[in-house]
Formats: sequence, C-alpha cells, structure tokens
Amino acid sequence: MNERDKGISRREFITRLTVLGSLAASYPALALERLRSNATSANEQDWLDQDPWQTIAAVQQHLFPSGEESPGASDFRAIVYLRNSIENPAADGEDKTFIVNGAGWLNDLSRERYQRSFTALDEPEGETVLRQIEQSKAGRNWLSLLLTYLLEALLADPVYGGNPGGIGWQWLEHQPGYPTPPEDKSWFKLAAPVRYQRKG
Amino acid sequence: MAHDFDVCVIGSGAGAGPVVLTLAEAGYSVLVLEKGPWLTEQDFYKDELACCRRSVYTPQLADEQHVIEDLDSEGDWVGEATFDSGWDFWNGNCVGGSSNFMSGFFYRLKPEDFRLLSEFGPLAGANVADWPISYEDLEPWYSKVETEVGISGKFVGHPLAEPRSTADFPYPPTHEHPIAKRIDSTCQALGLHPLPTPRAILSRAKDKRRSCEYSGYCGSYGCSSGAKGSARAALLERALATGRCEIRPHSKVYKLVSNSKGKVVAAAYFDADGQTQKVGAKIFVVACQAIETSRLLLSSTGPKHTNGLANNTGQVGKNLLFSAGGSGSGDFVYAGMSDKQAEALKVRGPFVNRALQDWYYINDKTFGGRAKGGTVDFLLRHPNPIGKAMSVKWDEDNRLLWGRPLQKKLKSLFTASQSLRYEIFCDWLPTDNCFVSLDARVQDKWQSPVARVRIGYHQHDLKVGRYINERAIQVLEKMGAQNIRSSVSGSPPQNLVAGGCRFGDNPGSSVLDADCRAHDVDNLYVSDGSFMPTGGSVPYTWTIYANAFRVADRISSAL
Repeated sequence: MNERDKGISRREFITRLTVLGSLAASYPALALERLRSNATSANEQDWLDQDPWQTIAAVQQHLFPSGEESPGASDFRAIVYLRNSIENPAADGEDKTFIVNGAGWLNDLSRERYQRSFTALDEPEGETVLRQIEQSKAGRNWLSLLLTYLLEALLADPVYGGNPGGIGWQWLEHQPGYPTPPEDKSWFKLAAPVRYQRKG
Repeated sequence: MAHDFDVCVIGSGAGAGPVVLTLAEAGYSVLVLEKGPWLTEQDFYKDELACCRRSVYTPQLADEQHVIEDLDSEGDWVGEATFDSGWDFWNGNCVGGSSNFMSGFFYRLKPEDFRLLSEFGPLAGANVADWPISYEDLEPWYSKVETEVGISGKFVGHPLAEPRSTADFPYPPTHEHPIAKRIDSTCQALGLHPLPTPRAILSRAKDKRRSCEYSGYCGSYGCSSGAKGSARAALLERALATGRCEIRPHSKVYKLVSNSKGKVVAAAYFDADGQTQKVGAKIFVVACQAIETSRLLLSSTGPKHTNGLANNTGQVGKNLLFSAGGSGSGDFVYAGMSDKQAEALKVRGPFVNRALQDWYYINDKTFGGRAKGGTVDFLLRHPNPIGKAMSVKWDEDNRLLWGRPLQKKLKSLFTASQSLRYEIFCDWLPTDNCFVSLDARVQDKWQSPVARVRIGYHQHDLKVGRYINERAIQVLEKMGAQNIRSSVSGSPPQNLVAGGCRFGDNPGSSVLDADCRAHDVDNLYVSDGSFMPTGGSVPYTWTIYANAFRVADRISSAL
C-alpha cells in the first residue's frame, strides 16, 4: 500500500516532522559519508568520463563544491540530473545545445589561457576562467543556466535523478511535501506530448 | 431541431462546475468541453517541477500565449507576446481549471461591494458601476457554496461581517499554524480585529474527498487528498455520477457558431488529434476564465454578430479586472529565540488563516474622506525550495553567486528564519485602459488570434494599496519581524482576473443581463468571473462559485 492509499493523519504528520528533525540533526557527517561511500555505477562512469559531461561536471563541482558540512554537486548527482533533464525526449533541445556548446567554448578559453582543459585546472584557475566567461552575455547565460539546473538537482524530487535520499532537503532542513511523485507521474509524463519549457 | 445535448459548457473551472452539477442533477444532459487534460488526485503530487517550473498544467507558450499591452517609458501602449517576455498569463488549463491550484482563501463580498457607485460616488477615469443584483440576492448562493464546495471556517462577528443566513460554516477551521496566535495577540494589542480566513479546504472528509492532510504545499499545487474545493473534486465528479454529464478534455473551442436569427447553434472545437468537431445544444454556457471568455466571444462572429457574439454594443472584453494591492513580508530570526519558539515557527503544514478587514472601508481625512479599502491576508512564505533558492542566484551587484558564498547564503535563507507574508487585496478599478481584444498578428497553434490584454490601472488603486500597506507593515513591526520589505504596484496578478463581460440592466454599457445571459443572444450565458462590474476587495473564487450556482438556477428555469 502506498502513502496515497493510507491517508495521512495529523498524528502521522507530526511524527514525520520529528523524523525529519532527527535526520536534520544527524546531518551532515553521517548522511554525507553514506552518500560518498556509494560507488558510481559502471554505466554512469562510462559517460561521465567523456566530454562534454566531464567538463560540465567539473564546472558544477566548482560552482557547488563539496564541504565537510555541505553536499557538493557530485554528492547530489547534479550531472545525472542535468543529463536526465536535457536528454529528456520532452526537452526541446535548445538548452542541451547551448550547454554542450558552452562546455566546448569554455575548454577553448581554458586551453588558450592555461594550455589545459578545464578539468585540469586548479581551483583559482577555474575561478579565473569562469569569472572571465561571465563577462560575456552568452557566458553569463550559460553559467546562469547551469546554476539553475544545479539548484534544481539539489532540491527537486529525487525521482528526477538528483538530490539522492533527499540530501539537499536535509542539508537545508527543508521539509518536502507529500505524496512525492512516483516515476510514472514525473512532470514530463504528465505533460506529454509537449515540448520542454522552463519557467522562471 | 434535435440537439446533441441540452447544455454545452465551455470550460470546467469554478464558473462551470456549479452549472454542470446543478443542471445534470436537474435531469438535463450536459456536455463539458475543456481545452486541457483531465488530471485527478492520482496525478497530483508535491512536485515543484510539475507544479511550478514546467508547463504541465498550462499550455506551452510557444503553442498558446497572450499579448500583453503595457505603457512604455514614452507613454505609449506597446504589446509584447508572452512567449517573448516569459510573463505567463495562464492559470490552470485542465479539467477543473485553475480552481485545482488555488489556495482557497474564500471571502464573500460585502453588501456595499454590490453598489460601489452609489456608496462612494464616481471617480474620474474609472468606470465604476453598481451591480444589477444585491448582496441579499447572492447570499443564499454563497451559503450553498459553503456546503456544496465545502468551506471550513469559523464565523466571528465583527463590525464589517457580512450578513449570513446560517449560523456558522459547515466545516470547522483547518488546523492553524502556531504563528496565528501571535498575529491575534499583536492585532488585538493594536486595536484590530484579526479574522479567521475561511478556506475552500475540507477539515474533515466529505463523500469521496478526504480531509486536508496538511502537507504544507497547497497553493499552486493540485490537491492529492481531494480536500481542496476545486470544481473538479467538489462538483464535476458528482455531476458525472448522475450519468447525464460528459466531459471531453483536449477539446479546444475556437468558435461558437450562430445562425441568421442570432442564436448559437454549435460549438466548434479541435479535438485531441487536431481534428475539427461540432456539437449542438439548446443552451451554451461560456466559462473559460475572464480573458479567454472574452476572446472566444470576440472570435465568434456570425450573421447577426459581425463584431463577435454578445458584442453588438462593443462591450465584450471591456472593463477587465485584476486584483489591486500588493504584498510584503518580514523575517522572524531563530537566533535569540528559545528552541521552543523556533520549533513552533518552523512547523510546516497547518495554515496561518488570518486576515484583517479593518480597512475594508477607509474613513480617514488624511486619505481624503471615505473610500473603499481592502483586505490583508497573512500566510507563510511559499515552501517551494527551488523557487526560494533561485532568489539568491544573483548577488547585490547583479553578479552570479556560486561556490561557498552561494552555499552560505542558501543555508541562511533556509535555516535562519521563518518569513511571514501578507497580501493586500483591493478593488482594481475598471478603466478604459484595461481590456481584452484580439491580437492582429499573434495566433495560437490552431491559427486563432490570441487575446491581446491591455493592463492599465487606476492611480487610485495604488493610493489605497499604499494606505493599507503602511498599516500591514505596522503589524509585522509590532510582531518583531525583521527585514520587512513590501511592494505595492499596478502590475496585475494574472491569477486574480474577472470582468470583461459585465452584467447590467443597460445593454449599451453591459454584455450580460442580471441572469448572466447575453443581452443579444437568447441561448448564451457566461458563468465565470467575467460578469463582475467591480471586483470587491477579496479574491474572487467564492463569488464566482456563488454566482454560477445562481446562473444555473436561471438556466434551469429557462430550459
């Protein structure tokens, strides 16, 4: 029986609050440790090792680094979320083209300046290059788009591939709503057949 | 001539539901043509992407959009397509319409709202008009909505309370957030009268609908329990159970076809496959929400209606209304509070349910004498985490924020304080600069001209909004809120829209008669919020529901 069939009473709701509260309290050390010990699947590793995903993942990690107390882009699987989003059949392809092209342009700039691709830069070099591309309108839009997908990966329902185990919600002590969407009720299945469009 | 149905209703939201249910229960055959999909409780989850960040419940702007006409810096009216601007004017296109996604703050209008012109006199530049009916005419239907849709609340007598024919609400108030008590004590100390806000949300089960489950995600979300009084959950489901109602989703009506006698004979629509279909009925009822209702009538030209149905005096689309006012918020910072206080503020789920109507009428020399004011409704900041996080993506210098500074800001935004918001609802005065027409250039995916909406407002609206805002701020200050910010503007909230087909006794200045039947088309009714000549200073939905029950009663008599 799923959550929907049970009906959730106020009492259960209060219990849920408590459970969430205790999770939040035990965060971050335990939850992060658990998360980081989970190895990436071989299938994922295949495409993660290739560009543009490798470069984009490195940019994401720079924009949202892992800390002792805070999950980083790799912890909340930002690259998986992004790939799921832009490779989605319901997507119109515009974001994908822009994001992929942007990764190429970033590497061009990185090689021009440091004779290495972005993934081989250290943190200050990466910051220099990203702040440089921020000066152009296209670069700014590209970074802004990546940040939007990052924040979605951090806080959207785990069914979309990011925010594993609700790690983003726990970090920000955020109580999600219920019921949460099962895979067959994800937005692109409800909206089908549609083209992809982002709001806001 | 044989008809396919007794009644054909175009649209399925709050203006449609009461008509559909009443007539199906009365034994008539009713067809509902709804442009959007048919989603139910089985499709509604607390998914921020589906609700608020992708076009799931509303059309893709590339397929269907509006052109919004606003004043530019030179003082000229300039139209911009919403696909270009991103300013989405859709509110919920699916069975049940936007009532699926409302917050359900339910207010009656007050008796004076029905005679604004007589009560407060004319205002230069505003087309204020009295209604052709009185509060007393609508009162029984307001009461009917309480039981039929299901409104929870508690009646509190106060100087401005509307007369009621029943003692109290049929459902007790929904659970309240601990902050409600703080609002009460502060307001009382200020000599104000905090009122429990009635909600179209069940506090206990009704038929197949479950009670509210207090997930804390209500407004903008479809309801998973059926507690929210959407037209679909509360009314259409019951209409279907009579066996005399048929709902056709994905049916986009593009024209009402009228004959040489000026009667509507068919609704022409595109089905899910994009094929054109026609269906006949004795009576046609339009309830597509204000903007689209005017658009459909303007698009429906015929031998006797060369400028569109019901538009022989050129009134369709005129005097469109939004809700004026503004909003504000203040933060209650946990640092310095006891754990108990902080935990109470962090609670998510129960509702704030508090409003002030102390300034519904303004009696103040500094304002310029007696005037119509408005309502203040309190609520917590919307819990949507992505939307919230997006608000710190840019820093004060308009540079993108990332890395540790972004993480620090996010942590503080989410964990350091609770935000209490308020919304101000005032009359949006009807003017010659707020109306719907057909755009000459932009078409939807079916090659029909889209609605062009001029969104001018009256300066007086801002004056009223600011007056109330100053007082709402004082409440937050007295409560000890920090970082108080507010805004009062003439920017229209697209989800609070009415007017465009005002009802009245004079065909020269109105579209509909007092029964909401078109002056110039015998078998055409409009039952959504389009009928309102003035909007009152509250959200419209209860009034739309009540009037639609009243109109249903008139249609039943006419059949």
